[in-house]
Amino acid sequence: MSLAVRTDVKEATATPAEVAALEPKVSVRRLNFYYGAYRALANNNVDLYKNKVTAFIGPSGCGKSTLLRILNRIYDLYPNQRAEGEVLLDGENILSPKTDLNLLRAKVGMVFQKPTPFPMTIYDNIAFGVRLYEQLPKSELDGRVEDALRRAALWEEVKEKLDASGLSLSGGQQQRLCIARTVAIRPEVILLDEPCSALDPISTAKIEELIDVLKQDYTIAIVTHNMQQAARTSDYTAFMYLGELVEFDDTTKIFTNPKQQRTQDYITGRFG
Amino acid sequence: MANIAATPRYHRRRWRDHMATGLAIGAAGFGLTWLVLILLVLVVKGVGGLSLAVFTEMTPPPGSAGGLLNPIVGSLILTALAVLFGTPLGMLAGTYMAEYGRYAKLTMVVRFINDILLSAPSIVVGLFVYEIMVAQMGHFSAWAGAVALAILVIPVVVRTTEDMLLLVPNTLREASSALGLPQWLVIRHVAYRAARAGIITGVLLAIARITGETAPLLFTALNNQFFSWNLNAPMASLPVIIFQFALSPYEDWQQLAWTGALLITVAVLGLSILARALSAKKVQL
Repeated sequence: MSLAVRTDVKEATATPAEVAALEPKVSVRRLNFYYGAYRALANNNVDLYKNKVTAFIGPSGCGKSTLLRILNRIYDLYPNQRAEGEVLLDGENILSPKTDLNLLRAKVGMVFQKPTPFPMTIYDNIAFGVRLYEQLPKSELDGRVEDALRRAALWEEVKEKLDASGLSLSGGQQQRLCIARTVAIRPEVILLDEPCSALDPISTAKIEELIDVLKQDYTIAIVTHNMQQAARTSDYTAFMYLGELVEFDDTTKIFTNPKQQRTQDYITGRFG
Repeated sequence: MANIAATPRYHRRRWRDHMATGLAIGAAGFGLTWLVLILLVLVVKGVGGLSLAVFTEMTPPPGSAGGLLNPIVGSLILTALAVLFGTPLGMLAGTYMAEYGRYAKLTMVVRFINDILLSAPSIVVGLFVYEIMVAQMGHFSAWAGAVALAILVIPVVVRTTEDMLLLVPNTLREASSALGLPQWLVIRHVAYRAARAGIITGVLLAIARITGETAPLLFTALNNQFFSWNLNAPMASLPVIIFQFALSPYEDWQQLAWTGALLITVAVLGLSILARALSAKKVQL
């Protein structure tokens, strides 16, 4: 069903030039997910288009974070969690047991709800991930760190104290540090799991501006409880309810003229 | 309000509150009194014997002057070796339990056995090492003493390593895994770093525990009236010397025992304070 909706959208809203540019970076097909015996996701289908921001909205417990956590297989850290179906990244099924999880996660970066700076200096928080994949001379590494911090709109605030602990930053700064850390290893997809839920409005605004800039280089998926945020930041929106992907469409359409009654009810605040 | 305060019910409750508070303070005071008395006696009896000779001269034969150099050095060697053997083993086991085998059955079994080992009487450990090392080698040795102490170190380190790693929030592990870090690097660079202060505290507490152990050394390192670096030979240690000298009828030996006891107590006290300071720092972090 969602698949059909998605195809409609493409034809209905995109200009011919855009259709050509709309290239699915990640395709989720017939995806089921289980926590032990409990099925948290039922037959989800959705695409993340290249250089677009896709928002996932829905009431608590609807499975939007669960879906996001499948895209880099971070759920694999826990026993008894299992995904069925296909998640294609550039056509390769990442759910295959042959997938190299570390390489996958280097390609699909993730920023979490709670800021999670590592217990090390601001500089090392960012250089750490880079050193893992590349051996760069010091000057080049410095450049990478600066570039990542600039992209995360944090450079001006921390350039004088790169040797301070990452934990000494404010919550909003910590979250941008985490984004910088993710950007520094040059992923292709960035997953944002409610990145602003612990932040004040000013930090939130900064991160939203950041998302707008980042999508030029990355494919972005964002889970959010905040519908205004979804409307502001995303190009496409998926509405989820009780583990089902109810509707996936152009963000403007979802918020102005949704096809499904349940979507309509949710965005107008009738439930959730 | 005034009405409530006047009711007998309120008075009864207030009285009970005072009683409970009084009992708690009394119990704390009772416990502290003995501790203070012990420290006081140790200081009063021990300080008199403190002199440079204590740190520079060997244990004397009865009736002549001497010091505690050989047991002090012996204790340092035995403790250092025990920590050297016990810490890596304990840390690796604790790491397995908290990281790799967190959900494994084996972990529950190991945790259970480790808890038994944690409270095992140290004399049993001494006898065990006597059987497997001293009896086999045919003589007492510093090696055997170090192994016995290491067996006491391991469960403490296992326990604190596991506990401290379990305190590291999973979000931190997820965040580092999400960067593409293999698990061993997540543990080495992130989990250990976050748990470092706690693990060091555990090692310090383990040292504090073995510093005063006598029973396991009686069966293993035994004693030595002379200075010795030889790990294949018996080695003196402060607790065993205190045991021997305190039981002797010679007053000068008894004085050395008091002084040795004071030294051990101060050392353990220092370690505990250091451990406390470190764990306080961890909370800030």
